[in-house]
Amino acid sequence: MKYVILIYSNPNPWGHPTQKLTPEGRALSAEQTDAMDREFDSLMREISDSGEFVTAEALGDPTTSTLYTWGPDGHVATDGPYAETKEQVAGFFIIDTETRERADEIAAHFAQPGGTVELRPVMWPGGDDQ
Amino acid sequence: MTSAAGLEDVWRECAPHVLGALVRRYGDFDRAEDAVQDALLAAANQWPVDGVPDSPRGWLITVASRRLIDQWRADASRAERERRVLTAVPDDTFATPAADVASASDRDDSLALLVLCCHPTLTRPSQIALTLRAVAGLTTGQIARSFLIPEATMAQRISRAKARLRDDGARFAVPSTAELPERVAAVSQVLSLIFTEGHTSTVGGELMEVSLADEAIRLTRQLYRTLPSNDEVGGLLALMLVTHARRAARCTVDGSLIPLADQDRSLWDAVMIAEGVRIVEAVLPTGQVGSFQLQAAIAAVHAEAPTAEATDWVQIESLYRMLDGVAPGPVVTLNHAVAAAMAYGPESGLAMVEPLLDDPQLRRHHRLYAVHAHVLELAGRSDEARDAYTTAARLATSIPEQRHLNECAARLKPPRPASHRNAGPADPDDGREAVPPDNGLPCRLPECLAKETVAMIE
Repeated sequence: MKYVILIYSNPNPWGHPTQKLTPEGRALSAEQTDAMDREFDSLMREISDSGEFVTAEALGDPTTSTLYTWGPDGHVATDGPYAETKEQVAGFFIIDTETRERADEIAAHFAQPGGTVELRPVMWPGGDDQ
Repeated sequence: MTSAAGLEDVWRECAPHVLGALVRRYGDFDRAEDAVQDALLAAANQWPVDGVPDSPRGWLITVASRRLIDQWRADASRAERERRVLTAVPDDTFATPAADVASASDRDDSLALLVLCCHPTLTRPSQIALTLRAVAGLTTGQIARSFLIPEATMAQRISRAKARLRDDGARFAVPSTAELPERVAAVSQVLSLIFTEGHTSTVGGELMEVSLADEAIRLTRQLYRTLPSNDEVGGLLALMLVTHARRAARCTVDGSLIPLADQDRSLWDAVMIAEGVRIVEAVLPTGQVGSFQLQAAIAAVHAEAPTAEATDWVQIESLYRMLDGVAPGPVVTLNHAVAAAMAYGPESGLAMVEPLLDDPQLRRHHRLYAVHAHVLELAGRSDEARDAYTTAARLATSIPEQRHLNECAARLKPPRPASHRNAGPADPDDGREAVPPDNGLPCRLPECLAKETVAMIE
């Protein structure tokens, strides 16, 4: 089953990896940062080897987005960001795991200083002829 | 003139034999596999233009051998191999075996390849990917598109799997008699998952580039021919045939699923059902009964009912009881509960479902609530059934299944006047689609050989 891991963060200045650009991330010692980097690398290796990693993308600065809304005379374009919330969608990972429990286990490792991670199932077009 | 699809069948049929011949000769599975892929691509380019060579297999072996040798030569650091290559150029008898007759050693090669691709050192997704590439002869792109994942991810998965086999010293050989049953069971699981992926992903008649269900049947048929006394392989083949026989009836053109009970049975493939039933009748009485044989038997009972109402639920219930003994698990229990409800009344179904509501493994599983809803509806408990359908729909991750479950919930909307309801805004839709709870059949229920069943039995 596929799941998306959405990374919400507000790095300042905008950049990746986001956790190094948040106040909480900057407050960590070099040793702590290194340990987190190593743990993340080993997680990525593990889920690539197992075939659970599908794809991932890091997103650009939310202020560079364009929003399109529908209007009676056609679409209307305005400048982003979409939401004036503290944390913005900064990137996503898609994983493919056998169970929800395994997806939870992987997603928990994505928790990062100064951000929030959301795990959600991905819908698929197939189905069983129930 | 053979069509392009016909040509593809020819070279894909040859692929495992060509790879087997190369690995036997040169011993380097990883590179041999790449070389065979190159040769298949060369065939894709040349055969439609130049025609099919007299011996397709000999042609592919020659081309793949040259590619393999070129690869070795290009790798200057492997001086020792370079030396071996000079003496390893295939002679004519090797390159052109008699016109594509499957010999005993061919069958051994196919088996050795299958067990190698499903080696226990690999994860399930890697086993599936490698089997489809090395044994079925699909390209990385075709496999990636079948599983809706990026081609680069699939390419990496395949190359890591091959590296893993190399590093762990996995051998290309038919396993010993002692090892064989376990290795064949792993192969069967992989083929079953490939089938399920193909069977469940084709909704709405969209044209798939390759049919994973057809591939799984082809490979399982081949495996059964190699191991005719393996009843579980026979059971798996029968299960696939009887299930695949429904493909024309299982969805509408707009991509909605048609539940088994509502399918137009005249669209079922009678020839395929007959073959599946024949196999299951042959394997079931002999030896130890296994999970695939029982699932095939259940599918066969469904397939042989002229109408949904004529389904022999008593027999299905007893088969589920046996399945529960062989491969117990919560999903088998769920399916068993449906059969019990249909055979002996909703109360016996409810007694089996309700304990599962506390099972942490099933808590977020839509099927638990779908089954509960169905049995509640059979029992005439419409309000509870509606709530359970709503929960099931929320948890479903299949778009067509979710749509179906939402329709089931909507069908059970209570009639409008509700004197006890005096709080909250009125629902303008309320009652509009109301159906008396005791009018009409309950929502059709999952035929029970679902993906999850297979996955959890594993």
